[in-house]
Formats: sequence, structure tokens, C-alpha cells
Amino acid sequence: MFFHITLERNMQLHPRHFGRNLKENLVTKLMKDVEGTCSGRHGFVVAITGIENVGKGLIRDGTGFVTFPVKYQCVVFRPFKGQILEAVVTMVNKMGFFAEAGPVQIFVSNHLIPDDMEFQSGDMPNYTTSDGSVKIQKDSEVRLKLIGTRVDATEIFCIGTIKDDFLGVINDPTTS
Amino acid sequence: MAEKGGKLLPKGTKSSLTSSHSSLGSSKRKENCPTKSKKGRKVQFDSSIGSTKSADKTESMFDKVNLGKGGKEDKTGNAAKKTPVKDPQPLELKIEQELPECAKCMMDAEALHILQGIQDQMVILSEDPSIKIPISFDRGLQYAKSTGNHYTDYQSVRSILEKLKKDGVNEGELCVIANACPETADEVFALVPSLKAKRSKLIEPLKGVLSELVKLKQSS
Repeated sequence: MFFHITLERNMQLHPRHFGRNLKENLVTKLMKDVEGTCSGRHGFVVAITGIENVGKGLIRDGTGFVTFPVKYQCVVFRPFKGQILEAVVTMVNKMGFFAEAGPVQIFVSNHLIPDDMEFQSGDMPNYTTSDGSVKIQKDSEVRLKLIGTRVDATEIFCIGTIKDDFLGVINDPTTS
Repeated sequence: MAEKGGKLLPKGTKSSLTSSHSSLGSSKRKENCPTKSKKGRKVQFDSSIGSTKSADKTESMFDKVNLGKGGKEDKTGNAAKKTPVKDPQPLELKIEQELPECAKCMMDAEALHILQGIQDQMVILSEDPSIKIPISFDRGLQYAKSTGNHYTDYQSVRSILEKLKKDGVNEGELCVIANACPETADEVFALVPSLKAKRSKLIEPLKGVLSELVKLKQSS
């Protein structure tokens, strides 16, 4: 789910960046440092939307670096347990399938796939119902519910289920 | 004493264990039993709060071992505790507890609008080779495009959904409803279990809101 949030960060700037363009340099450095990162608390920082405030700089003892506290607004993407979202299937195997929703990877185990769907191996491995009416394969769109999240240094990984009501395939790439 | 408790053997051998655990006579079991039962006990307590998977696993392990038959008091106590099995609570969305108050939940359509604006600016920035557009931005934008395009006008969607706030629906739940594009009230209650408690109060306003949202849906 997307959130608009205000965060604060202490940015260190080398004196060579001082001058007329101090603020621009600070903002550029902030964007380079923060955009694309992820944390357990806020999720992925997708984009910075604005700078709210740049505090007074403090010269660090021993080095010439100056620390500026910067308050900025950004769009973050954070998955939550219990959240419903739509994801695109990227890989199917006998253990389950992997899907992607934005920058987040989700795994749905075969235990959390309805019992009437069975794994079919082949060139295009898929999960199909016994009557062949519903198929989950690569590039299918599925609606799933997140039941767990794990945060890594660079990414967030989730476990999902399609075993509840109103969950499952939305769009089959073969029929569209 | 430890022997009576029985060994936690793999699944295949459990049926024999229930009838003849006293006949098993290895010293290893004495060591394994208490630690495994302790571990089992811990997982069992956690499972009432945690996932259903661990609950199923431990319950099946204890079932097969059948600690109720003999053994230590604490184990029989355990068996008694496990028998009234609670239905696992449906997983509810708890955004407010995990994010700071200043976080504003956005519908995918709103996020799409903002990210597209930023993308236009990024075209100018991308001429500078030192600035790299992060992968998460591209993926976030792509995702917002695929999910945020259900409705023609996100601002009208927002104003329609705001009406539900007075009935006790919080921001996160509103966003889930907007993103999921449900067709019926039953679908809303299935996807957002935290609203089930207020079902009687919400059902009529929800039906009204959904019928208004249908008019705003984009024809695909």
C-alpha cells in the first residue's frame, strides 16, 4: 500500500558542495541516498515529493563535514499483513508461485492455494483447477492476501494466500 | 517418567507409539523428550497469537504422540489446554499501530497521479548521467498504473469513500476498498475482516457507496 509520509534524516555534506547551490546539492544527495532504499518500518521509499525543512548545519569535530537535519516528504510502499493486493505471477513451481506487486516479491505456497488447483509441469508450469476453467501461470494477475512479511537489507519479501474468499486469478494472459 | 511421555517420532511411526510407548526403551528419548516437549509447549502458546501453520504442526504432533495417556502432569495439562482449539482469527489490517501518525494512506490512483508528476520531472533529471532512477520507482509506478486505473477520477472516489468515515471506517480500510474495487458488500467484508464487527451498521451505507463507485469505474 502506498503512503505519503514525512521523514527526517541527517545528511552529511562535504565542504566542496558549499556555495550558492548548497541546498540543491543537499537535495540531490538526499535523493541519491534515500530513493530506492527500504526499511522495515517504512517500506520502500519510492520517490521524494518535497523538502519540508532543512535545519542548521553542524560542523563535525575532526572533519570538515557538516551535518544537516533534513525533513522531507516521500511516497513509500509498504506491505502489511492482512492487506489485499493484486500481483503479477513471475514464476510457478511445485512449491507454489512467486508474484510481484511493485517493488515487493510475494510467495504463495501450494498449501495456501485452493485444494482443487493442481500443479501441471511443462513448458509453462501452472496451477489449474480440475475442470481447467482457472489457470495460474506466469504473467497471470492474481488477487492475494498477505499473511507475513520479511524485510531484508534491500528488499521486502512477503508470503501470501489465495485460499480465502474473493481471492485468486483476476486475469489470465492466455485469454486476454 | 520421561518414557511415559513418549518420543516425538516422525509422522509415520506415530500410530504405533500411541499403543506402546512404554515399550520403547532408549536412553536418547529421555534426553529428547523434555527438550522437545518444552519446545512444543512454547510453539503451542505462540500459536494462539501467531500463524495457524505452527498451530497445525504442533497440534498434529501432540495428537499423534497422545500425551494425555500418561506422563507428567504438565504434559497432561498441555493436552487439556490444547483441546479447546480456537478458530484462528482472520488476519486484520493494523496500519495505525505500525506507522507514525503523520503517515497518510494513499489510494493507488492517488499514488499514480503523484508518481506520474515526478516521472515528468525525472525526464529532465535523467539527462544528468550521475542521477540514476531507482528500480523501485519504476516498479512502483508500473504497479500504480496497473492497479490505479480502475476509476476515471480518483478525487471523486475519495470524496465518496470519505462518507464511510463517519461510520467508523479508518483510512487504511478505505484505501483497501478503493484499491480492491469490490462489487458487493459481501466482498468488502471478506476482504476487510475488521469491518465485520460493524456489519449491521455499515451494510447500507456500503451498498450506497459501491453503487456510486460503479458509475465511476473505467470501462476497460
